[in-house]
Amino acid sequence: MADQNRSDGVDRRQFLKVLGTTGAGAAVLSGCSTDRVAKLVPYMVQSEDQVPGIATWYASTCSECNSGCGLHVKTREGRPIKLEGNPEHPVNAGRLCSRGQAGLQALYNPDRLAGPMAKNAAGKWDEIKWDDAIARLAAKIGAAHGELAVINGYAASTFSTMLTKWTTALGGVITNFEPFSREAERLANQKTWGRTDLPVYDFAAAKYIVSFGADFLETWGSVVEQQRGFAASHGFHDGGMSRAVFVGPRMSLTAANADEWLNVPAGSETLVALAMAHVVATKHGHARAASLSAYAPEQAAKETGLTAAQITVLAEAFAAAAPSLAVAGGVGAQHRGSIELCHAVNLLNEVAGNIGKTVTFGSAPATTEGDGRIQPLFDRMAKGEFQVVLVHDANPLYTLPRSGKFAEAFAKVPFKVSTAAVLDETAAACDLILPNLHGLERWDDQNTRSGVTGMMQPVVEPVRGGMHTGDVLLKVAKVVGGAVASFNAPSFEAHLKGEWQKHIQAIDFATAMREALGRGGIFAASTPNEQPRAAAGAVSYTKPTYDGAGDYVFMPYPSMLYHDGRGANKPWLLENPDPITKITWQSWVEVHPDTAAKLDVREGEIVELTSPHGTLRAQVYVYAGVRPDTLAMPLGLGHTEYGRYAKGRGVNPLDLLGAADGQGFLPYVATRVSVARTGDYQKVARVDGTPRQLGRGIIQSMPVAYAAKGMTPEESYKAAGRPTAETNTELERTAIEGWHEKQIAASQLGNYADAPHPKWGMAVDLSRCTGCSACVTACYAENNIPTVGEEQVFRRREMSWLRIERYWEGGTDGEPLQARFSPVMCQQCDNAPCEPVCPVYAAYHTPDGLNGQVYNRCVGTRYCSNNCPFKVRYFNWLKYNEVAWPEPLNLQLNPDVVTRARGVMEKCTFCIQRIRGAQHTARLENRDVRDGEVVTACQQSCPSGAITFGNVKDAAAEVVQWKRDHRGYVMLEETNVRPAVTYLAKVLNIEPAAFHGAEEH
Amino acid sequence: MRQRFLVGVGTLMMVAAALVIVSRQSGAQQPTTGAPAVAAIDSSSLKGPRQPIFFRHDIHVGQKQMACQYCHYSAGVSNEPGIPSMQTCMGCHYLMVNGSTPANVVEIKKLKTAWNTKKPVEWVRVHMVARHVHFPHSVHLKGLGPQACATCHGNVARMPQVYKVNNVNNMGFCISCHLERKVSRDCTVCHY
Repeated sequence: MADQNRSDGVDRRQFLKVLGTTGAGAAVLSGCSTDRVAKLVPYMVQSEDQVPGIATWYASTCSECNSGCGLHVKTREGRPIKLEGNPEHPVNAGRLCSRGQAGLQALYNPDRLAGPMAKNAAGKWDEIKWDDAIARLAAKIGAAHGELAVINGYAASTFSTMLTKWTTALGGVITNFEPFSREAERLANQKTWGRTDLPVYDFAAAKYIVSFGADFLETWGSVVEQQRGFAASHGFHDGGMSRAVFVGPRMSLTAANADEWLNVPAGSETLVALAMAHVVATKHGHARAASLSAYAPEQAAKETGLTAAQITVLAEAFAAAAPSLAVAGGVGAQHRGSIELCHAVNLLNEVAGNIGKTVTFGSAPATTEGDGRIQPLFDRMAKGEFQVVLVHDANPLYTLPRSGKFAEAFAKVPFKVSTAAVLDETAAACDLILPNLHGLERWDDQNTRSGVTGMMQPVVEPVRGGMHTGDVLLKVAKVVGGAVASFNAPSFEAHLKGEWQKHIQAIDFATAMREALGRGGIFAASTPNEQPRAAAGAVSYTKPTYDGAGDYVFMPYPSMLYHDGRGANKPWLLENPDPITKITWQSWVEVHPDTAAKLDVREGEIVELTSPHGTLRAQVYVYAGVRPDTLAMPLGLGHTEYGRYAKGRGVNPLDLLGAADGQGFLPYVATRVSVARTGDYQKVARVDGTPRQLGRGIIQSMPVAYAAKGMTPEESYKAAGRPTAETNTELERTAIEGWHEKQIAASQLGNYADAPHPKWGMAVDLSRCTGCSACVTACYAENNIPTVGEEQVFRRREMSWLRIERYWEGGTDGEPLQARFSPVMCQQCDNAPCEPVCPVYAAYHTPDGLNGQVYNRCVGTRYCSNNCPFKVRYFNWLKYNEVAWPEPLNLQLNPDVVTRARGVMEKCTFCIQRIRGAQHTARLENRDVRDGEVVTACQQSCPSGAITFGNVKDAAAEVVQWKRDHRGYVMLEETNVRPAVTYLAKVLNIEPAAFHGAEEH
Repeated sequence: MRQRFLVGVGTLMMVAAALVIVSRQSGAQQPTTGAPAVAAIDSSSLKGPRQPIFFRHDIHVGQKQMACQYCHYSAGVSNEPGIPSMQTCMGCHYLMVNGSTPANVVEIKKLKTAWNTKKPVEWVRVHMVARHVHFPHSVHLKGLGPQACATCHGNVARMPQVYKVNNVNNMGFCISCHLERKVSRDCTVCHY
């Protein structure tokens, strides 16, 4: 690790090629660029863990949100190059979302600070030495005499415990701040059961799932775990599936994956929950029935726009399916009646008998505090009660509404310190910055929930000059002495290992710890399941109130890519389109088509939204999935600092919100806004095409009743009384007779191997796919795909080899709006239209059935892309490879895959580097490649397990089993291209009678 | 993928010591492969790029009969051959092997200085395939057997200074071998 630097003389790819060594200086001897002479610099002492060319994997824990998913970090020559889920971890079981994978771009972020910085009298930053920085902090803390406030954004961990003790010993106050902290749920649990901890929800066991605004596939709770559970119950299996219903004013990704979306006004979800609880309690004769007597479905029908019969049917189905599960919360349901809503949903779960089955208490996720605790802290800052404030791993000046005057209160503190690794809004307002190490650079842990301690170990030398904040605390304690003199561990690492020793009961601690580190943490064998005692908590419903008198309810919702804003400086997340709107790099405001007509605005038009708390301008996106009386907007962009990618990009909807209203949480949906046209337009950086399938049958579906009968998609359409398109006419069939076989024979040219080649194939189960786009990020990471930026997306030059297609169904003539999602990668056609048109034989058929693309042959005619019916070939228009990865972001590149230059057509080849890698390993071990040995990057990351891959000539392979499924179909079958990707039709848990409306085929 | 090949440093040192003893015993014998007697300190008259230290493959491989993979161990297990760490050199040269001729003593001193000052020797690269080619060393070693290395790199046992025998960057060189041995010449075997 000592020799990872390089000089200017060696280009990037060469740097990656010179493995186990460092290229330092180069002299070109001849004119041929591939003939240059580089220098090979050996390791002084080579680490036993590093073999050049072979990846070393380390277990760690993700720190991109508070779920605490386990990681497997793939490192090559000492550099982490990809993050994957840890299969042994109880939370994520080997899968990882886009945000987690993009943690790599936090590690290599080009805007990371090089070292500590202090603000001088002129308000400019001076780079200072660590000793100086610690001396300054210690002096201020010594002089503060307990007037110290600490904001800690990091979830429960050994570090947080130490920080709490350290702060308390100094007489200060600490807040464990998280912007989306689920405070309303905690307060509701207090009301229902007299306890404030959160339960763990088992989506896998639930047979009927109703979500009241909780976007459990996006940002609410432990999303990877929940998505896995949702796919297990809601994916079609054993002839059936669970049913999912979403209740709320906006169709989020979670709602789009539900079988039914009950579009009710914000705030009135409570009435639906209470009415359902009323029906269920009455039916079961539950003790709570009396307290719910005032909330009959007829009551709810008045305000929600639903019929009483609809609610009764829903409630009875919910009661009949045991166990069922109702969830509530999330930012989208965080209105002023949120506590009542969560309480109502708690009662619904209780009367339906779900407690202890799908809702289990006792292994509470880490407790964090939000607005209810941060407000009083800032009030005290405003009063001048603090001398020093320390902000760790949090950005409150961005994540709190500007109208709350938090920045002004913050400025009243004489000495402000941040440990941010990137200059964010809060750090910019500080006097001293002590950049912390990234999670992959430091010793740390996360107590995700009781019984789960995820360990973190340094897997790379610090990329920039940070210092572990734990070590900063210890060094400061050494100087300050007195009350904190007991913090005398030689380093945070020593302190941490001392704490771990208390958990690991072993004679040989060192060995036991090494085993635990390899496993990723300490995981208890069983999870507790406590039965909560019912509390008296009165049932009530108050119609939520709104600030302002505008015509529209304003509904900010967390972006599943940017989360609370911390994702906004990672190009992978910015370029990955929002699954619903397919917009990249931009903010937008969602307007219902009827509202848009009324306002006379269209897509891309910039409107001005005004609330009593502020004004902002944003472009319109016309979306039928939001109520006509509501305007919705994603959170996460609109940074004023936070590095080159985030600063000045988009707008922050928090600017329209009020700060607090005394209930103990921030009500996000509590503002009415008025809309004014500005006459300006903004081009929308969208990557989708036609929003409708127009009868092409790209993403096919069927009702569960037909799927249970084993029908094919075609039979299902016929049974539903809908004509299916004729695949090929008789004439066409004669014309193409034998063509396929001839193509295959021609493709075998150059196949000199004695043994038969495998034929690679893939299957995608659309009843499991949720459109979450984790696979897209995985593909970017694995294949060195450059991000092209907003300007290039305008020209439709994005390079996403794998994309998620989103099509809309219904939404007109009273038909319910429905979404269809499908990953679309190169289909590796047998009769590939791209191959015969290549004039230089760069696109050709490999003996193992892939549509190979030889980048070094490609001359960029783009004929292949013209001829591709799936549009999965992407042309490298500019020198993306030279601008997409500013140093040190280039260190994330996968050395097994070449970076493509300008003028080359790029495409998916089923992660051919992984195929070849597995084949080489098998060859060295004198065996064939085993089924499941080649795992493509998309397949590996998928939280739902919707993708499988393998050799279709191996009859026992999983992919063959999937391909034989009666739901299987290939996209655009009528083109006779014979794709190697089989899709299994989506299954909808709806009545066959309701299936007529969709126009898929 | 997680297969590792770990060389314990202790083992390395022990093996190195044993090898030194063996090589000393055989020191009096004539080298079987008959390396030319080169004594010049100035290696610039020899073929191949001049290296910062006149490392003698002819002595190590030819006279002392060391296997290629003793130093280039990862060539047998990985796509990448790597370059031996300084520690590998010092395994033998730390205490015992100091050079039999004054010229060799000078070169070995250079190595020791580099080790003591912690400045790795910057070897000049001789062979390099283009950036868009993936050449898995381990699989070729497996397929070609004992003569694998010499197939591309020539008989380094006779090279006082390593030079290019074959242009490994010429695709024709690769293809002719693949044709001869009837192995795949599919493009995506190497290009991806």
